[in-house]
Amino acid sequence: MSGTILENLSGRKLSILVSSLLLCQVACFLLGGLYAPLPAGHQTVLGTKCRDDPSRQNDSSFFLYSRGAGACNPVQLDEIEDDPLKMANQLVYVFQMPLPRNNRVLDYSRWQQNLIGVLQVDIAYVSSSELSEPPKDLQLTIEARLAYRNNEDGDKDWKLYANSVEHRYLDCHPSHVHAKETLYSCDIIPLFELGALHHNFYLLNLRFPMDSPRQINMQVGHMHDLTLTAIYQNGGFTQVWLLLKALLFPFVVGIMIWFWRRVHILQRSPALLEYMLLYLGGALSFLNLPLEYLTLGVEMPYMLLLSDVRQGIFYAMLLSFWLVFAGEHMLIQDSPNKSTIRSRYWKHLSAVVVGCISLFVFDICERGVQLRNPFYSIWTTPLGAKVAMSFIVLAGASAAVYFLFLCFMVWKVFKDIGDKRTSLPSMSQARRLHYEGLIYRFKFLMLATLLCAGLTVAGFIMGQMAEGHWQWNEEIEIQLTSAFLTGVYGMWNVYIFALLILYAPSHKQWPTMHQRDETTQSNENIVASAASEEIEFSHLPSDSNPSEISSLTSFARKVAFD
Amino acid sequence: MDLSYIFIVCLLALCSADAESKQKSGRGRGSMWWGIAKVGEPNNISPISTGIMYIDPAIHSTLRRKQRRLVRDNPGVLGALVKGANLAISECQHQFRNRRWNCSTRNFLRGKNLFGKIVDRGCRETGFIYAITSAAVTHSIARACSEGSIESCTCDYSHQTRSPQANHQAGSVAGVRDWEWGGCSDNIGFGFKFSREFVDTGERGRNLREKMNLHNNEAGRAHVQAEMRQECKCHGMSGSCTVKTCWMRLANFRVIGDNLKARFDGATRVQVTNSLRQSSNAVPVVSPNAASANNIVGGVSNANGNGLPSSVNGYDDEERMLNDHMPELLLENSHGNSKQHHPNMPSPNSLPVVGARARGHGRGRQGRKHNRYHFQLNPLNPEHKPPGPKDIVYLEPSPSFCEKNLRQGILGTHGRQCNDTSLGVDGCDLMCCGRGYRTQEVVVVERCACTFHWCCEVKCKLCRTKKIIHTCL
Repeated sequence: MSGTILENLSGRKLSILVSSLLLCQVACFLLGGLYAPLPAGHQTVLGTKCRDDPSRQNDSSFFLYSRGAGACNPVQLDEIEDDPLKMANQLVYVFQMPLPRNNRVLDYSRWQQNLIGVLQVDIAYVSSSELSEPPKDLQLTIEARLAYRNNEDGDKDWKLYANSVEHRYLDCHPSHVHAKETLYSCDIIPLFELGALHHNFYLLNLRFPMDSPRQINMQVGHMHDLTLTAIYQNGGFTQVWLLLKALLFPFVVGIMIWFWRRVHILQRSPALLEYMLLYLGGALSFLNLPLEYLTLGVEMPYMLLLSDVRQGIFYAMLLSFWLVFAGEHMLIQDSPNKSTIRSRYWKHLSAVVVGCISLFVFDICERGVQLRNPFYSIWTTPLGAKVAMSFIVLAGASAAVYFLFLCFMVWKVFKDIGDKRTSLPSMSQARRLHYEGLIYRFKFLMLATLLCAGLTVAGFIMGQMAEGHWQWNEEIEIQLTSAFLTGVYGMWNVYIFALLILYAPSHKQWPTMHQRDETTQSNENIVASAASEEIEFSHLPSDSNPSEISSLTSFARKVAFD
Repeated sequence: MDLSYIFIVCLLALCSADAESKQKSGRGRGSMWWGIAKVGEPNNISPISTGIMYIDPAIHSTLRRKQRRLVRDNPGVLGALVKGANLAISECQHQFRNRRWNCSTRNFLRGKNLFGKIVDRGCRETGFIYAITSAAVTHSIARACSEGSIESCTCDYSHQTRSPQANHQAGSVAGVRDWEWGGCSDNIGFGFKFSREFVDTGERGRNLREKMNLHNNEAGRAHVQAEMRQECKCHGMSGSCTVKTCWMRLANFRVIGDNLKARFDGATRVQVTNSLRQSSNAVPVVSPNAASANNIVGGVSNANGNGLPSSVNGYDDEERMLNDHMPELLLENSHGNSKQHHPNMPSPNSLPVVGARARGHGRGRQGRKHNRYHFQLNPLNPEHKPPGPKDIVYLEPSPSFCEKNLRQGILGTHGRQCNDTSLGVDGCDLMCCGRGYRTQEVVVVERCACTFHWCCEVKCKLCRTKKIIHTCL
């Protein structure tokens, strides 16, 4: 036997397979486009100002809330304006989520997965005071307490979820300039990220302590409006997404088992590329595994981190696979031994490893710490932002190095193929078929990969550009953002599914090989015996453990020998 | 065409006793609601106490029947309206503190207009009052929605396909499913819709004055819309922008007041055009909008009872309708920044108010109501540009506001403070209309040099400063 399924598949069968995979791809796109809602929803909550209870200011089990029995009596704006001190140190900003809508009290569902809070601050500076405009690095100190409550609890039963004193830097620009007072609206600041939306209601109490000896919040002018935007994943999107994952998972696992059995039927140990394909399938299955279903029952705040890690592993595996695939098709190789990751590719893969590790460290610093303190963000301090930025720059640089290197390798393979192609017509039919097959295999993957990568990039760009939905006609409306997300996800599944099928070892025989009874021989030897007129070929040091893929290599070496 | 044009010119030229007496009843029609600013003590208003407030007889005398129904059907809205009216008054007084007319309000009396008789004249000041009150209601309702004090605010379902499961279930269960499925993004459009329904109630656009009021009300809302800004947050893998969420941010009302004041300074004096006469009493011209009017009725009436699914038909048309009303606005916004269009604006849901009543009104009424926003006002001076949707329009020149004239509702500038160094309207020469002014020295005691300690101690010194105050004779 020799070659992979791809070379031996007839054009008809291949087109049937490819078109059915394309149909799956379109189905994934339409599932997101027609069925799923937007990936994320948001509610903008305006802070209700409540008068603090001075005796319980340090009591972290004390909460003020704006709706329900025992809610605080909101302080009106003019009351604050009339106060000469603008009620400094007396106010608590209360945000109760979610807001009621359509005459219903809404509550968060566990399908909504996660909650991200972003704060918008409007401040004013009175011209008569000594500080009439914000300083350059305006630091805001926030005492934040997050509480939760469930449906079965009473209106008062808020329980502390997290509390922290946080510092944020504000970047403000004037929105209204006047001789008496200047208003500034500030850029949004990230406030918290909850990896698990486990409870029904959340409550945020913010205090802005002012302290002269410690210089806390003394440079922040008069606080006007505070708006919190709470972003959550839409439940419908989660359902569609998990459905997609749950549907894809058994298929990919099944095809992996089929692939591995097929490799094991051979009388040789699996080649590096076969290992790589299997790892790739494993990484994809890990990504597909619909672990998120567990969040419906168990509180898993590490879900955001875990999904980042799963995606990271998958991308790292995919990038490594491309590199190894290109490397295995290099026509001039340094050592004749069987390639392993350690012996040949550690240099090539170091870019991937460095990039992934730096992204992982960044993620641990951001989302890992958020497990302990949801208000934490590495971006909020200048030092942290520099560290985070350096990790990202490092990852970006290694990505650039990787792609340059990959392009170089691919270019080299193509150049070699182009050079050696001229010698093909002079060969025997069996060999020519074999090598043409190898070249075809490589080109096929190149084409498929370029197509997928291009579509991914285009998909994300379109997802950014196309705001919301796109009307096909009166009835059909396509939710583009979701469609691109599910489409891209489905596409990589289809891509790897196709690789596992098409690059599995074939059981078909070469036409010329039927005369000989050497099916158990390794592929190199078959080729050598089929091309017996070229004696030099058999003199070449044959691989102890040859694979069908490295036959191109030996062909190349042989041509070089000529 | 020509005949009617001449007729209008004559009407304008005559603009005197005859027309005045006829229109008198209709003038303040839509403006009585301003009186709710004085309902109760604003400081005591909280979302919970709305039930008590509703009994206040002042509400009964200030609000029209439809407005009362809107208040009744949207619990919590009254507090926002009171806040909005007070916001408009304080903003107006802030913007006009240096002018002869300082937006003074009279002690509220039953059956009298809050801003006094000045509203009876179609002058610039009146136009400004209409614009700023309508803007303030829009702003205040939108704020109250995001504060959670109005429970009937609607969700923005415009970007969402409903789950098929939800269609099979009725009432609130479907609503809960909808929220779980597609969330409930903000809908600032509720503020705009409510403002239209509430503020524009009495203005049917029949005569020129009502058209002026309608135009200025729309202008106020347009300014609120134009000042909305988009904010975005990326929250994809590791915080990358593979997933991005954007929302609209309302501007501070002071900014809207500034813009309206600028439009006040450049306000356009208008007259009636030919098209106005045609559209006001003739059959509505066949247009996509006229055709859609009927669908809106369906959408509105269904939205209350059956939950969302049935209102779908109406919503596209309504969206178009809103777009038609503010076409230049939307264009203007997309000019500056192509990403900055307002996804929230053309909101799909109708107010849950009209209920069964809307069914009874039938097509004709709805059609007319719908068309009342479709008119073009032409500038009196043909060389001027026709007023845009954000411009303030007026009909007659303002009085000088110098002398007290209670018959016209003018308080005069006696006793007003002025600035002796300024050459502008706030300068003592212009403000006091040449009557001269009195200079006083006043000692002001203020808290100063405060020190704060967390928690919760504040120590201040008392500072005395001398101030010189000029007041008009």
